[in-house]
Amino acid sequence: MATPNLKHALFCAIVTLIIAYPILGLNLVAQGTKVGLEGATTSTVISVVLAAFVVFFFQLFRDSIMGSLGKLPKLNPLSGREPMPQAKRAKLESWVLTAIVVFALFWPFLVSRGSVDLATLVLIYVMLALGLNVVVGLAGLLDLGYVAFYAVGAYTFALLSQYFGFSFWAALPIGACLAALFGLVLGFPVLRLRGDYLAIVTLGFGEIIRILLNNWTAVTGGPNGIGGIPEPTLFGMEFGRRVKEEGNTSFHETFGIAYSGEHKVIFLYLIALVLAVITALVIRRLMRMPVGRAWEALREDEIAARSLGLSRTAVKLSAFTIGAFFAGFAGTVFASKQGFISPESFVFLESAIILAIVVLGGMGSQIGVILAAIAVTILPELAREFADYRMLIFGAAMVLMMVWRPQGLMPMRRIHIELKRQE
Amino acid sequence: MNTSVKKLVTAVSASVALMAAGQAAAEIKIGIAGPMTGPVAQYGDMQFSGSRMAIERINAAGGVMGEELVAVEVDDVCDPKQAVTVANRLVNEGVQYVVGHLCSSSTQPASDIYEDEGILMITPASTSPEITQRGYELVFRTIGLDSMQGPVAGNYIAAQKPERVAVVHDKQQYGEGIATAVRDTLKDAGIEIAMFEGITAGDKDFSSLVTKIKQADVDYVYYGGYHPELGLILRQARQADVDAKFMGPEGVGNKDINTIAGDAAEGLLVTLPPAFDQKEENQELVAAFAEKGEDPSGPFVLPSYTAVQLIAEGIEMADSKDPFKVASALRSGTFETPIGTVQYDKAGDLKAFEFVVYEWHADGSKTPAN
Amino acid sequence: MQDLLYFFQQLINGLTIGSTYALIAIGYTMVYGIIGMINFAHGEIYMIGAYTALIAITGLATLGIAWLPLILIVALLCAVIVSSSMGWAVERIAYRPVRGRHRLIPLISAIGMSIFLQNYVHLAQGSRNIGFPALMEGSFRFGSAEGFQLSLSYMQITIFITTLVCMTILSLFISRSRIGRACRAVSQDLGMANLLGIDTNRIISATFVIGAALAAVAGLLLGMYYGSVDPLFGFIAGLKAFTAAVLGGIGSIPGAMLGGLILGVAESMTSGYLSGEYKDVVSFSLLILILLFKPTGLLGKPEVEKI
Repeated sequence: MATPNLKHALFCAIVTLIIAYPILGLNLVAQGTKVGLEGATTSTVISVVLAAFVVFFFQLFRDSIMGSLGKLPKLNPLSGREPMPQAKRAKLESWVLTAIVVFALFWPFLVSRGSVDLATLVLIYVMLALGLNVVVGLAGLLDLGYVAFYAVGAYTFALLSQYFGFSFWAALPIGACLAALFGLVLGFPVLRLRGDYLAIVTLGFGEIIRILLNNWTAVTGGPNGIGGIPEPTLFGMEFGRRVKEEGNTSFHETFGIAYSGEHKVIFLYLIALVLAVITALVIRRLMRMPVGRAWEALREDEIAARSLGLSRTAVKLSAFTIGAFFAGFAGTVFASKQGFISPESFVFLESAIILAIVVLGGMGSQIGVILAAIAVTILPELAREFADYRMLIFGAAMVLMMVWRPQGLMPMRRIHIELKRQE
Repeated sequence: MNTSVKKLVTAVSASVALMAAGQAAAEIKIGIAGPMTGPVAQYGDMQFSGSRMAIERINAAGGVMGEELVAVEVDDVCDPKQAVTVANRLVNEGVQYVVGHLCSSSTQPASDIYEDEGILMITPASTSPEITQRGYELVFRTIGLDSMQGPVAGNYIAAQKPERVAVVHDKQQYGEGIATAVRDTLKDAGIEIAMFEGITAGDKDFSSLVTKIKQADVDYVYYGGYHPELGLILRQARQADVDAKFMGPEGVGNKDINTIAGDAAEGLLVTLPPAFDQKEENQELVAAFAEKGEDPSGPFVLPSYTAVQLIAEGIEMADSKDPFKVASALRSGTFETPIGTVQYDKAGDLKAFEFVVYEWHADGSKTPAN
Repeated sequence: MQDLLYFFQQLINGLTIGSTYALIAIGYTMVYGIIGMINFAHGEIYMIGAYTALIAITGLATLGIAWLPLILIVALLCAVIVSSSMGWAVERIAYRPVRGRHRLIPLISAIGMSIFLQNYVHLAQGSRNIGFPALMEGSFRFGSAEGFQLSLSYMQITIFITTLVCMTILSLFISRSRIGRACRAVSQDLGMANLLGIDTNRIISATFVIGAALAAVAGLLLGMYYGSVDPLFGFIAGLKAFTAAVLGGIGSIPGAMLGGLILGVAESMTSGYLSGEYKDVVSFSLLILILLFKPTGLLGKPEVEKI
C-alpha cells in the first residue's frame, strides 16, 4: 500500500504549497501609484514549506495516526458509563439551572463593568439561539434569515424611540409582537418549500430586510443607523449621568449615591437575564405541550405528521412566529445596550453565527444551546490578543466542530419513559 | 453539568484577571480610535502615525504633569457598529481622552457614549457638522466642517459655469452630508443639478450609474464619499467615454485612488486641508517623521498630532485630569500647533479652517487648482 | 433614439454582469446537482482566483513582460491552478468528512470554510481595495444621437465570448466524455453509481475542481472589468451567483446561465430606470417570486416527493 499512499501524500503536499504560497508568500503592496509584489518574510515561507511537510507525513502515515487517535476516547474516564435514568437527569438539570440563575443574579455586583457588558451580550445571543432552536432544532425548518427578526425587534425600538419617544418597556412588547408578525408573514410563502429551497428563500428574506434598512435612509438612517436609543428605566428613574427625558429622575440622585457607569450596565444585564430566563422557560413549556410535539413530529417526518392530521400550516407558522417573537426580545435589548444600531449588525454572518450556536449546542437541546452561546461569545473575547486571527479561528473552529462532533455539545435527549430492566 | 458552571467561572475569572492587569499607575491613557483595517485603513494610518509621534515627543519632553502618555489603540474599521463596540471597550478600560474617530459615521455614535461617560474626544478627521451640533461639552475637532468644505467645492464648480452637474454619494453620513452641501451651494448659484443619487459603499459594479451619468450629459460630477468607490467609478466612467470632470472631498485624496483608477485619476479635483507639512514652522517635525520613515503629508497626520498636543496642553492648563475641566481649558485658550493657531468656539469647532481645491494627478501628486 | 440607445446600453451592462454571475453560478449548481450541498465557500474561491490573477499579472509586470496575450494566459493558468487546488482542498477538508449527515452539518461547515478563507486572504494580503490594472481598454462605439453613444467595450465582448465558450465546452464535456457521463450518473443516484464501480469520490472532487476553475476565470475577467479586489467581494458575488443558480433551477447548467443573465439584466434595468439602491432588493424579490410559483426554478426538474 506504500506506493498509492506516497503518491497521494505527495499530491496533498503539492496542493498545500499551491494554496499557501501565492497568497501568503507574495504580498500585493501599493508602491506609490502602482501595485507591486513583495516577497513575504522568510518565516512565512518557512512555515508554508513546513506545513507542506506536515501534510505529507500525515497523509503518508494516516492510517496508523488515525488508529492511535481512535484509542484516545478510552482515556476519558466518563465514557463508557451508563447514561443516567431519565427522571434523575431531569431533576438534576432543573437543580443546576436554578443554581446557575441564582449565581447569575448575584454575580454582576462582584465583577468589573466590562464583564457584565459581555455577559449581557451573551444573554442576547442565548435568547436568539433559543428562538432559532425552535425553528431549526425543534421544527427542523432551515432558516438562514433569522437575523431579519432580530433586526425588526431592534429597529422597532429605535424608530419608536426616535420618532415617538417610546421608552424601553413600551417598545419591548411591540417589538416582539412586530417581529412575530414578520415571522408569520415569512412563514406563508415558504409553506410549500422544503429543505434547501426554504433555506434560500429565508436567506433572501433576511437580505431584503437588511437592504431595505440600508437604503431607506429617510426613515431608518440608512448606513448611518439610528442613535440615541434610551436605556430601560426603573419606575421612571434613569441610570444615566444626566436625565434625558423630562419627568424622569436620576437613579443616583434618588438614592443619594455617586454616579457610576456600572449601574446602567448592571440594570440592563438583570433585565436581559430575566428575559432570557422567560424565553427558556416558555420554550421549555411549549416543548412539552402539543405544539412542541407537533414541531418535532414535523421535523422527523413531514408526511407522516400530515397523515396523522397535523396541519402543516399551523405547525410551521407557529414555529416561525414563536421563534421570531424571541428574536424581537433580543433585538430590543440589543438596541438598548448599544444605544445605536445600524444595518451592519444584521448581516448574514450573524444568522450564520446564531445557526452555528444552535448546531454546536446540539439541535433541540436547550442546555447545549445555552452553553454554546456562552462559548461562542466569550471565547473570542478571551482570545483578544489574537484579535487579528479571531475570525480565522472562528471559521476553522466551525469546520472542526462539524467534522469532529456534529451532534453538538449536548445532543438532545427526547423526553421518554424508560422501562426498568427485568432482573 | 458541573462542566458548564466550571466553564462560566473560569471565563469570568479570566476576564476579571485581564481587567485587573489593565490597571497601571502613573500614566495617562489616550485612546486612539480609527480604522486599522478595512477599505479606508489608509486614513487610519495617518491618524495613528500622527498621534504616535505626538505621544513620543511629549513623553520625551517629560510627559504631562510628570506622567507618561500611553496610547490605547482600537480598530473601528470605519463602521458605526464597530465604533460603538470599541468605544465601550475604551470606557471599560478607564480611558478618559480619545483621539478619534476618523469616519463621521463612526464618530457620531461613539461621541454619544463618550459624552455620557464623561470622556473628552477630539476628532482629527470627521467633518460632518452634526457632530458638534448637539450641545455636547466634550467633543472637539482639529479639522474643518463639511459646511465649509461643501461651499468651497460648490463655488469652485459654479465659477466654471457648467451647464449641468451630477451629484453622487455613498449614503453614509460623511458622503451624503457633503454631497448635500455641494448640491445646495450649486442650487443657490443657479446651476442645474441633473441627478442626485446614492450608491452602496462596497459595490464594485457601477456600469449602470456610469451609463446614467453619460446619458445626463453633465460637465461635472461631484462625488461625496471615499476613494475605493470613486476610484472604480472614475475608471469605469473613462472606459465608457464619459468626459465630465470629477470632484471629491478629502476622503478621496489618497494615492490609493491611482492604483485603482490609473490614468483616469488625472484631472480629478479634490478639496483638502492646506498642506501643513509644507509650512516653515513644521519643518523640524517633518524631519522627525522622515527619520521614522513616515510620511507627514497626508491630510490627517498633523491634525492627529495636534489633537494629542491639545489634550496634553489642556491638562496642563487646567492643572487637572478631569475631562470637563480640560474641555473648559480648551475652549478658553489659544494654542500654537502644527496646524496653525487653534481657538475653539462654544460647539468645539475650530474658529478658522480653510479647505483648498487641488488637482490630482496620475502620479499621485497634487497641485493647487486655479 | 437616445432612449433606445440608453436601453441597449443598460442591456449590454446587464448581460455582462449576468455572464459573470453565470460563470460563478455553474460551480454552485454542479456541486448541488451532485451531492445536494450548497457550497458557501464558492464565492471565496472566486475571490482567491481574482487575487491570484492579480498577483500573477503584477509579477509579470515586475519582470517587464508586456505582451497582453501572454500576460492573460499566464494569469489565467495561475488563477485556475490555485483555485482548483483550493476547491479540491476545501472539499477534502470540510465536505467529505460530513457527507451524508443531516443537511445542516455540511452547511455550517461550508459557512465556516467561507469565513476562514475570507480571513485567510484578509490576513495575508490586507483588507484594502487593491487596484487591478486595466489591461484591455477601448471599445466599439455605435450611433450618436444627441451625444449619447452606445459603447461596447472589448472587455465586455471578451466576457460574453468567454462565458459562451466555457458553457459550450462544459456542456459538451458533460454530455460526451466519460467523466461527464459519470458525473451525470452520480448526480442521479450516488449509491447506484458506487455499486456500478464508479469512483464517486473522484467524480465529486472533479466537480469541485471544475467549478473552481470556472470561478477562477470569472475572477480574472471581473478583476479586469471592475478594477479592484478586496477580501470581502467574493461573498457578495457568491450570494448573487447562488441566487442566479436557484433562479435558473439548481442542478441544471443551462439553468445557471439563464438565471445569471436574467438576474444581471434585472439588476441593470432596475439600476438604470429606477434607482441603483434597490437593485439587490429586486434580485431577491425576483428569486422569491419565482420560487413561489415554480419552486424548482425556471429550468429545474420538478422534484417528485417519494414516500
